[in-house]
Amino acid sequence: MIPKFLTAGPSRRTFLKTAGAAAASLGLPRMALAAGEPIKIGFLAPLTGAVAAWGKPGLDGCEIWAERVNAAGGIQLADGAHPIEFVSYDNEYDPAKARTGATKLIREDGVKFIMMLGGDTWPGVQPVADRTGMLFSTLLPSDLSPETTTLVAPAEVHPIYNVTGVEWLAENKPDLKTAVMCAQDDALGLPSVATYLAAFEAAGIEMLDEPLLFDPATTDFAPVVTRLMAKNPQIICLDTCYSDYVHPICEQLFQQGFKGQIISCTADFYDQMIEKTSKDFMEGFVFQFPDFDDPALNSDAINFQDPNGFYAEYNKRHPGQWGAVSWEYASIMDMWKAAAEKAGSAEPDAVMTAMKDGRGAHAFGDADWWGKDLFGIDNALVGDWPVVAIENGKAVIKEFRSIPDWYNRHGDLMVKHMQAYGQMWDQRG
Amino acid sequence: MRNLSILLVGLAALIALPHALSFSQQEILVFLVINVLLVTSYRLLTLTGEWSLGHVVIMGVGAYASALYTKELGIYVPVSMILGAVTAALLAVLLSFPLFRMKGFYFLIGSFAAGEIIRLIWKRFREPFGGVRGISGIDPMPDFSIGIYQFDFFEPVSYYYFAGAIVIASLWVLWRIEKSPVGLTFHAVHWQDKLAQASGVNLRAYRTLAFAIASGFAGLAGALQGHYVGTVNPNSFDIEVMVFVLTWAIVGGTQTFYGPILGCIVLTVLNEIVLREMGLEQARPLIYGAIMILSILFLPNGLESLVQKATRRKPVAKPEEKAAT
Amino acid sequence: MLELLAQTGLNAVYAASYISLVAVGLVLIFGVMGVVNFAHGELFMAGAYAIVALYADMNVPFFIAVAVGMAFVGCLGLLMEWALFRPLKDNPLGGLVASIGFLMILQSLAVMGFGVRMEHIPPVTQEVVRFTDKVGLPVARLYVIVAAIVFLSALWYFLKRTRFGWALRASAQDPEAAALQGISITQTARIAMFIGAALAGVAGALTAPLVSVNPHMGHSVIVTAFIVIIVGGVGSLEGAILASIAYAFVHTFVTTFWDGVLADIVGLSLMLIVLIVKPTGLFGSADRA
Repeated sequence: MIPKFLTAGPSRRTFLKTAGAAAASLGLPRMALAAGEPIKIGFLAPLTGAVAAWGKPGLDGCEIWAERVNAAGGIQLADGAHPIEFVSYDNEYDPAKARTGATKLIREDGVKFIMMLGGDTWPGVQPVADRTGMLFSTLLPSDLSPETTTLVAPAEVHPIYNVTGVEWLAENKPDLKTAVMCAQDDALGLPSVATYLAAFEAAGIEMLDEPLLFDPATTDFAPVVTRLMAKNPQIICLDTCYSDYVHPICEQLFQQGFKGQIISCTADFYDQMIEKTSKDFMEGFVFQFPDFDDPALNSDAINFQDPNGFYAEYNKRHPGQWGAVSWEYASIMDMWKAAAEKAGSAEPDAVMTAMKDGRGAHAFGDADWWGKDLFGIDNALVGDWPVVAIENGKAVIKEFRSIPDWYNRHGDLMVKHMQAYGQMWDQRG
Repeated sequence: MRNLSILLVGLAALIALPHALSFSQQEILVFLVINVLLVTSYRLLTLTGEWSLGHVVIMGVGAYASALYTKELGIYVPVSMILGAVTAALLAVLLSFPLFRMKGFYFLIGSFAAGEIIRLIWKRFREPFGGVRGISGIDPMPDFSIGIYQFDFFEPVSYYYFAGAIVIASLWVLWRIEKSPVGLTFHAVHWQDKLAQASGVNLRAYRTLAFAIASGFAGLAGALQGHYVGTVNPNSFDIEVMVFVLTWAIVGGTQTFYGPILGCIVLTVLNEIVLREMGLEQARPLIYGAIMILSILFLPNGLESLVQKATRRKPVAKPEEKAAT
Repeated sequence: MLELLAQTGLNAVYAASYISLVAVGLVLIFGVMGVVNFAHGELFMAGAYAIVALYADMNVPFFIAVAVGMAFVGCLGLLMEWALFRPLKDNPLGGLVASIGFLMILQSLAVMGFGVRMEHIPPVTQEVVRFTDKVGLPVARLYVIVAAIVFLSALWYFLKRTRFGWALRASAQDPEAAALQGISITQTARIAMFIGAALAGVAGALTAPLVSVNPHMGHSVIVTAFIVIIVGGVGSLEGAILASIAYAFVHTFVTTFWDGVLADIVGLSLMLIVLIVKPTGLFGSADRA
């Protein structure tokens, strides 16, 4: 059977939807600026269930992004301006449902680009991507493999950027020489453990103990913290623990009297952590995700559009919900929009070509397409990444530090530890 | 003659069905067909009076086994699917030793425990099970042509025909088993186990047999799903999925052969198509939960009782339905 | 090393406390009603969200919020008894399905009312009872331990020394005989549901400031509670308490001295061994289903 979708026109349902959207746009004067047919973007992530916190806040951010872009005239393609519209599908973090969702978004809604969380859901979608040539993005670069050339990881380069925090710490607090680490035993935790081990080794910091792995369903962290503190480390590394773990772990570290340095990948809602512990305790906490009202993000090198305004708007609509996921999908859209405008077309292959032509406009500055060593394909956008520290109760960007520079010096360590944890692309099942 | 024509019309309707659906509905149809086999195999187990919470994990055993046979040993996909089913059945025989020391509620919880241990083994041993990420890049069913129809197994319609044929054949086998003396003994084990024992029936052997057959077909369903989606991971077979299977069976009713199938179809269409079309993303579990409660309160004998009422008025009720009750 | 052992012991006592509150409620409901309450973890979650709404959002004093939360979750139990379990009392599997439906509703309500993200609860107290420099027990955890001791002793007294308790035990052992004795099955079912749910609620409310409160937090609690009640014997309250303590100590010590994933495997293996050696659990006897 010839794949129908390659030739099929819009189905009746999408036609009605488009007609409806066009009719609605007549009533809104500001939409007149971008009167062309809307360009549809798919949002295929968990919106219900236990992983929803990795999808829903991102969709909220995308809606703000779309309003701002559409109010400013939409996207300028060769045939004029078009508004952008998001179509979401809840994949419940299940590969089979993700496959169904990808089919719906591509064949029925006619989207031009699909953003995913990735992880468990990506292998279900991979055959669809291979067959349709649709352009996909993931937040987890460990989904990348040489087989799929149309999957990119343009925002998160987790966990590679974690090396910047460790290197900064080693340079700025050289008397810290010993560390321990804990992580949840899952697809995010393990590659991150390998990365931190490589970073600590490169920085000459000694690991006092094997990394302590805990089950993702853990709720009581007192035993974990007791174990971490047993060897009197100077640094405790929380790996890529989710905020559901970082908060109770920090609370326990505080209660059990830890006085040393903490380094972590994320510190979402750190104001709440300060309230649970103390300002003194959290002072100097190093992590990798800035608040977007940080003045350092107004530098010309930053490609994220109006980070301060986006942050303010997000907090206004979803108070207390800001986290890394809030801006990452929107930043992918910034980059996609730039590539589509460069190509003059929203078609996946044209955008992909424009995107990969030269350096990419990563949220934190122009960056290189990279990843051959670790993922087997140069589809991760890797450049500078901010090192953030809490100072006087507020997250402050200390420095933007280059990931490729680190990798050029210590790449062999990274490969060694990734191999030990079975995380290289050719080791994955 | 009349039955034959009904059968032919039904078959034609099943062949025509996917062409009346949208692309995503065709995808849902594939999973629906696989789940029909899963829930029907589950019913065979419940005939003996045992309710398991490990059935979905057993399905996963079939999926993992079949995926590994093709990946590690290079076995031809259809053959490895059958081997996957056999593996699931053999594991069930093994599990029956500890599990069948329990009955009723203890069996329910014991089967849950056994399932959790299997899932933990998948997570813990990255070789060969792939850890929490599971196995991806599972070989798809190789495409082939039968002259009038070219099977392209990426296409949901093709896979629907392929899986549908296997499922119908499996349902027929399950049906024959139920109607055979062995199947009638399963019923007896449930309803009058003292009496059955007194009349010389080896209860344990029959329960084990039912468990193994049910597990084998669940494993086959898992293999069908694994080679279509291309990936398996421990989370796809967790207790939340099991809860869905349990509710399909109970909401549909387990007195008749078609009850669980009816429950599976109605609830899947409701959850995956109707509620999604209504645009109720966050409220979907709420409405689904409410419908489950309402149906169990007001249709305690399941959806099948509605069908029975409807068909009883007409004298041409399918005879086999009566026989099953 | 001694300090490490002492601290780990204190951690285990805390874990045993909240697990036993949840597990005893689950056993009580099963004993009297004959249904497996799959929504029990969500009752725990509802208790935690009562604290979010009352204490964190509306600034109600913590212990009043806990009391209100406990009563609220107890009433949820009454609601379940009235709307679900009583109409389905001849249909134990129906009760199971209904409790699953109820679980989904509670989760969705939490998502719609509070969002998918975890909730912030300001600390109730940051005091720590220090034994040595390295061994201490945070006062917020002490509350949970004290509550477990108080409520479980009160429950024991209630069951062994009052008429209601006698009726409750009688109908748990043999509902028909109890009915012949003039015990109202409906009344005892109501009391059992209220107490069972309220115990889960108070555990959720008291631990809320110590864990991550999110709509799906009930899941890991119910899995632990299942393991505990199997080990303890499904119908036995004493068994549930002793199994909670055993499980908490084993899990905590394995986590601290080896790792957390291994602790789960050890926990499940423990359960499997108990099931194989004594399928009715350490303290179970009656075969109910």
